[in-house]
Amino acid sequence: MRFRFGEPGDVTEPSHERLAVGDERVVDFLARFARRLLSPAVARQHPELGSLGYFLRPAELARAVARMRHDDALVFPRGNVFHVPPANVDTIFVYSWALSALAGNHNVVRISERSAAAADVVLEALHATEADPVIGRTQRMVTYGRDDAVTAALSAWCDLRVIWGGDTAVDTIRAHPLRPSARDLTFPDRTSWAVLSVPGWRVADRAARRAAVLGFANDAYWFDQAACSSPRTVFLVGPRPDGVADEFLTLLGEAVAEKGWSVDAAMAVEKRVHAYGLAATGAATGLRHAGNAVTGLTLSGVSAAPRRWIGAGAFPFAAVESLTDLVPAMTRQDQTVSHFGFTPDELRAFAVALGGRGVDRIVPFGSALTFSAIWDGYDLPREFTRLTTVKT
Amino acid sequence: MSVFTRTQKEREPVLLAELSALVAHHRAHCPPYDRILAAEGFTTASAVAELPWLPVRLFKHLVLKSIPDDAVFKVLTSSGTTGEVSRIHLDKQAAATQTRQLGATLRTVLGDKRLPMLLVDSRGILTDRRSFSARGAGVLGMATFGRDHVWALDPEGRPDLEAVRGFLARHGDAPFLIFGFTYLVWLHLYEVARDAGLDLSNGILIHSGGWKKLVDRAVPPAEFRRRLAADVGLSRVHNFYGMVEQIGTIFLEGPSGGSLYCPDFADVVIRDPHTWAEQPTGEPGLIEVVSTLPTSYPGNVLLTEDLGVVHGVDDGDWPGKRFSVLGRLPRAEARGCSDTYRSGRAA
Repeated sequence: MRFRFGEPGDVTEPSHERLAVGDERVVDFLARFARRLLSPAVARQHPELGSLGYFLRPAELARAVARMRHDDALVFPRGNVFHVPPANVDTIFVYSWALSALAGNHNVVRISERSAAAADVVLEALHATEADPVIGRTQRMVTYGRDDAVTAALSAWCDLRVIWGGDTAVDTIRAHPLRPSARDLTFPDRTSWAVLSVPGWRVADRAARRAAVLGFANDAYWFDQAACSSPRTVFLVGPRPDGVADEFLTLLGEAVAEKGWSVDAAMAVEKRVHAYGLAATGAATGLRHAGNAVTGLTLSGVSAAPRRWIGAGAFPFAAVESLTDLVPAMTRQDQTVSHFGFTPDELRAFAVALGGRGVDRIVPFGSALTFSAIWDGYDLPREFTRLTTVKT
Repeated sequence: MSVFTRTQKEREPVLLAELSALVAHHRAHCPPYDRILAAEGFTTASAVAELPWLPVRLFKHLVLKSIPDDAVFKVLTSSGTTGEVSRIHLDKQAAATQTRQLGATLRTVLGDKRLPMLLVDSRGILTDRRSFSARGAGVLGMATFGRDHVWALDPEGRPDLEAVRGFLARHGDAPFLIFGFTYLVWLHLYEVARDAGLDLSNGILIHSGGWKKLVDRAVPPAEFRRRLAADVGLSRVHNFYGMVEQIGTIFLEGPSGGSLYCPDFADVVIRDPHTWAEQPTGEPGLIEVVSTLPTSYPGNVLLTEDLGVVHGVDDGDWPGKRFSVLGRLPRAEARGCSDTYRSGRAA
């Protein structure tokens, strides 16, 4: 086992260190760490770390701590938390770890051997941040290979196990039993969508349309459209959608070119394989290539919307009359719906009609990837704490 | 009669006409193919490079054939490293054509007579039908072009020096055929023959299978040829490039080495992987392989995941384009929250 952060040693050994919910030593550490992430050099090289730094600035930390408070109970750390983040989104592990640390938990984060460059930058920043010694003794980040014994020991040690990385990861890790009192917090495979109001688009001026498309491009291209909250299919909502998809794709091509994003050759081939697959079965009836980075697909209907990843910059389009027409197609697997051109009432009515059966987040274009303390339907600060009631 | 006869100028119009007719044929008989072309808005092509291409990997995801089920004579499968395999459907006529054209292509360098043949492989690869792979199919397919076959490897895949010595004692004084995958030839024939002081100067080597395993040992193609000639006298060496998805079509290295050539019924187009436009001579890109042989499935124009470059046109051993394969397209770095990504891109 390789220690990437924190004091080396037997991580499952009982500890007498105690942290409180919103412990000042943790708050200080996270605030200093956030400042490093927000430094221009880091933010320029890894913009996603800038977002992380923003999430961890003092005002946000105070808000997260406030969310942990409870009127009717005393709030304590949950205890030992074992985090298994995905290998290929570099920053997720920091969000869930930071919230858990803020709640005063002892944390062990398993960082994948396949972790990418941004993870190294995060670890460097953690090391460079001045810390009370208690931080290193209670917060550990480790890398180990396919070692079931270690996963089993950590599973037996923890009070809460946080598993990111999709259905397969959840099933694999779940093979290791937890203590009877412990529980899992799981982040399985998710699908996310975009909804675009046709009337809203028509009344928007060119600048507003461009801004919307730019936000959408950020949501889609930052993680090659493979983040769980990245939009996969665009639903055009409203009467007479003719021409909207074409204009959207043209603007998207411009936005992507402006940002200098490109789809590499292997991805571009991948995209054709999947797009042709959809065409071959009749799920897609039209294909349009706006440069290499943007491919539009016309779907034969809402039910043809693919739930699997089909490639960086492949956007199926389907038209519906109203948001409520989408309700039957949404499932528990669906996470984020990013929107443009709707009124707050329309969006609220959509959420109410969904009734919690699907879709956890409804956010404007450009915010799909913005992490929040409420994620995948969980109030994370609450999940990382436990409550004690006292009646006198 | 050679199949390397047509200049690019002669070849293009013939191929365009035949391939356009095949596109129409496949559209009429393979509905999924027709739906793909309809979605792309394809109507007609005025050049070979304008013909609609399919990613070769599509044959791992979809059943694409232009013949009814009861006409399927043979289903070929590619070697699948991740469990995914291409399935190529042939009817009797297509199977016969591919064998005939493969033979015609090889006769260019082997001559009209069947030669004694040394197979640089192990009989073992044919015995397990479940693992019967492109390698097995390749060896079996090639075996029909030789006679008095001897395996150069024992059933465990180790060099069988006595078998090779025996073969050379019987046939080493006149032309003979050697076939094997490039890295097997290097590791299990060349090195063994060199150390044992064998004379392979009457051999004609046909080899394929890529250079990846040799690149790890720092053996570039030119070095491969040079050392075979210098150390074991093997100077007639022909690499070829081909794939199960376009069975029967091989792009064969010319006598002077260094370039692959297209038989008259085939061609290659090198594409810029960003604009998808045809690359000019000298510019590398993705290799599209074009052949008139696939009549039972829509595999006439396939975009491979190999990188290549055209070195010249009508300026080499044989007419037409001459090109090299530069290696596999590097896989993209995986990103994403979940493993759906990986399952979507398994290849």
